[in-house]
Amino acid sequence: MKMNFLKLNSRSGLNPNTLAIPILLFVFLTFGAKNFASFENLTNLSGQIAALVIVSLGQMVVAISAGLDLSVGSVISLTTCIIATGGPLVLTLPLSMLLGAAVGFVNGWGVAVLGIHPIVMTLSTMTFVQGATYVWQTFPGGKVPAGLSAVAVGNFLGVPFPLIWIVICVALVAILLNKTRFGPHLFAVGNNTASARLNGVATYRVAVSAYVICSLLAVVAGVYLTARIASGDPNIGVSFGLDSITAIALGGTQLSGGIGGPASTVLGALSLGLISNGMNLIGVSPFLQSAAKGLLLIIAICAQRRKTVGL
Amino acid sequence: MKMMRAWIPSLSLASLKQPLQAAFLLPPAYYGTAVLLILASMFRPMLMSEAYFWVILRQAAPLGLVVLGQALVVRVRSIDLSVGGIVIGVNYIATSAYLSGFPDSVIIIACLALGILAGVVNGTLITRFRGSAVIVTMAMTIIFIGVVVAFSRYTPPGDVPELVRTIGSGRLHGIPIAALIWACAAIPLGLIMRQTVFGRYLDAAGANPTAAALSGIPYLKTMLITHIISGFCAALGGLLLAGFVGTGSTDTGIGQDLILNSIAAVILGGVTFGGGRGRVLGPVAGAFMLTFLLNFLTSFGFEASGKLMMQGGIIAMAAMVDALKNK
Repeated sequence: MKMNFLKLNSRSGLNPNTLAIPILLFVFLTFGAKNFASFENLTNLSGQIAALVIVSLGQMVVAISAGLDLSVGSVISLTTCIIATGGPLVLTLPLSMLLGAAVGFVNGWGVAVLGIHPIVMTLSTMTFVQGATYVWQTFPGGKVPAGLSAVAVGNFLGVPFPLIWIVICVALVAILLNKTRFGPHLFAVGNNTASARLNGVATYRVAVSAYVICSLLAVVAGVYLTARIASGDPNIGVSFGLDSITAIALGGTQLSGGIGGPASTVLGALSLGLISNGMNLIGVSPFLQSAAKGLLLIIAICAQRRKTVGL
Repeated sequence: MKMMRAWIPSLSLASLKQPLQAAFLLPPAYYGTAVLLILASMFRPMLMSEAYFWVILRQAAPLGLVVLGQALVVRVRSIDLSVGGIVIGVNYIATSAYLSGFPDSVIIIACLALGILAGVVNGTLITRFRGSAVIVTMAMTIIFIGVVVAFSRYTPPGDVPELVRTIGSGRLHGIPIAALIWACAAIPLGLIMRQTVFGRYLDAAGANPTAAALSGIPYLKTMLITHIISGFCAALGGLLLAGFVGTGSTDTGIGQDLILNSIAAVILGGVTFGGGRGRVLGPVAGAFMLTFLLNFLTSFGFEASGKLMMQGGIIAMAAMVDALKNK
């Protein structure tokens, strides 16, 4: 209702706050921190947030279906370890995609078909996959195929590569939500699963697909990160589960389901990235940064209006 | 769904049907513990001695206390992921130099107050501001870890006060004090849940929050109280853990493990979001089973990877059994 001036439907999650936060941060940092508005720093920023944007898009798809996926971090870690074995990408890429899809399928099956709470289900897969990652590799290291780093660092016709990753993923998810039948079905399931089923939506299939898409996007983020740091790290994904939830919450996606969109997710991830980047430039201790992020998460969540109390 | 109903009769004679169904409804921790004990007596008899039993009980006590609070919170359809942060915070307060001049009892009270305070903040944010419990409490853990690491800068703080060490690792007539404290918390809690009005409120608020609110049951206040109890239990568990370890540590991993294990033990204990059959004994058995399992796996030479996979698998299994029951 109050969103009419943006010509976007109210289920996109966009609201004045989600737009104002990144704009205010941008203005504040341009004047407050030296070097912020430099080309190098902005390129750097896009490199820093690309993985977060990609994971958050997946998290958003699951959140629209009224779920939550804590296992994305472990999937990212597993992917970096598989790619960093140094095997040919023709083999390692499909393998990590396959494993990612399997994790997503198990999550979706447990949540949608068996009716296990998403937190419990994804917590168990998160633990299991993290253990499996340690079987593969316990310490950071490994060898990354030579060509891979080229597509994560540097420019293509003047456009930073991370930005290209972001644009492709956002476009794919936007098409999925707006131009296919899956999109409306997903929102229907998230708003009211029972009535969606009565109206002929294949609710199980939609919910399972949402988790599979989320895990696949986590795999993509894992590939990007491997290329960027040029090695595998079994612990690199740990913070992503929570960061992605923070990002979508900042963007206005409702965790109770049915509300969210790619634009709001990008804005949320951008806000989070700007806050980290800004705190680095101003010189806040990295440990207090995580505490500040936690505080921010609480504020963003409590600012959302919702009826249910509890989970 | 229908599968389970069809499955049980086809498997058993009519006379066996009732007891089998009753056994199926018991918390998974009961038969899990039984299976574990049988396996241990077959393959690792030394785990079955009386001395070892007390060792495991002492090891399980911190987790067991955390689980008591977690089970209460889960019963009213909330969750407390801040227990890990509270344990880390308590560990730091009990061992850092800031309070070292004060008597031991003051330090203990400060630690417990920290837990209660965290519970009040969690509960208020969740019930008043309607923040999602998952996010509010997880953010609380992040804040605790961030602040503790920023203050300590990864240098381990000092030693644990004598009194805390005694309750964490001392024994009374051969029985670990930690286990006694665990029992002293569990038994009254069980009685409260069974005998008092508050216990009825818990059941009502968990079973159907809307109906509870419409019937005039103060279910928001009930949820707030469960979060305060959970914070207190986590702080007490953190004290026992600090006292057992003896020196302060900045290893934030202990907190993370406790979060995961407390949820696993709650699910194993037959408690579900909104109710469940295991009141206090279920989660207690869950905590014991998990601790015994980790010892059992260690005795076979399992490493972190294998243990994590095992834990994940067991949480998923327990949750699946539970989901099938409710269908």
